[in-house]
Amino acid sequence: MRELIVAYQRRVAGFAYAITGRSDSVEDLAQMVFVKMARALGRLKAPEQFESWLFRLARNTCIDHLRRQKLRRIFTPFAPEHENVPEPDGAVDSEELDALRHALDQLRPKDRALLALVQEGRSHAEIAETCRTSVAAVKARLHRAREELRQHYHRDET
Amino acid sequence: MKPEHEAWLRLREHAASQLSPGFPDRVLRAARADPSPLFVTQFAMCIATAALCLFGVLLFHAQGSAADEASNRAGWSEISAQASDLDQGL
Repeated sequence: MRELIVAYQRRVAGFAYAITGRSDSVEDLAQMVFVKMARALGRLKAPEQFESWLFRLARNTCIDHLRRQKLRRIFTPFAPEHENVPEPDGAVDSEELDALRHALDQLRPKDRALLALVQEGRSHAEIAETCRTSVAAVKARLHRAREELRQHYHRDET
Repeated sequence: MKPEHEAWLRLREHAASQLSPGFPDRVLRAARADPSPLFVTQFAMCIATAALCLFGVLLFHAQGSAADEASNRAGWSEISAQASDLDQGL
């Protein structure tokens, strides 16, 4: 189990960061994903699908986290200055990363998750299964998300 | 290579740098600890609490209504008795 965590921790952390855009929640989210993995690994029927299963777990955990955060804000609304707390000093150390982070921030969480799944090498069929949709729908959404990301990325870069 | 490719690599590196040393051991300790209550359990608790409150309100209301009805009946019986006394007097 420890070996699995060591092998995937960097990728899962990157995946969570791409979806949430917050450095300060990366470790908590990665921990939640691996705890869920550790508890549910015994129920995984097809070990060859481990990676796909792990990233499905990670995607759902991140989307749930954002949903809970949104719900919490309905009951305890933030003051305007707390709505967009900037990343801590030194959190973003390159312009490229900053541009990508800002570009991702303009997309919907589900589209960010889609792009992050592609970055993790998931096939269209695996993504379709993860998102419970068709391959055609994944291709269409992916095309739109890539276009949107590219536009925002280049706008931020210039 | 796409221009964002380098940025994606940096993103992963940056995210990985947020994991503090000893992360795998901490995860394993957390996984062995008692699981936190599931959403379904929490939801069931909410429903049970709401049902208990509703039952209390209904019980209180029913008792109040019964007392009012008894007092109304007593009032009407008195009026009826007085009316029949008056009838007999006529």
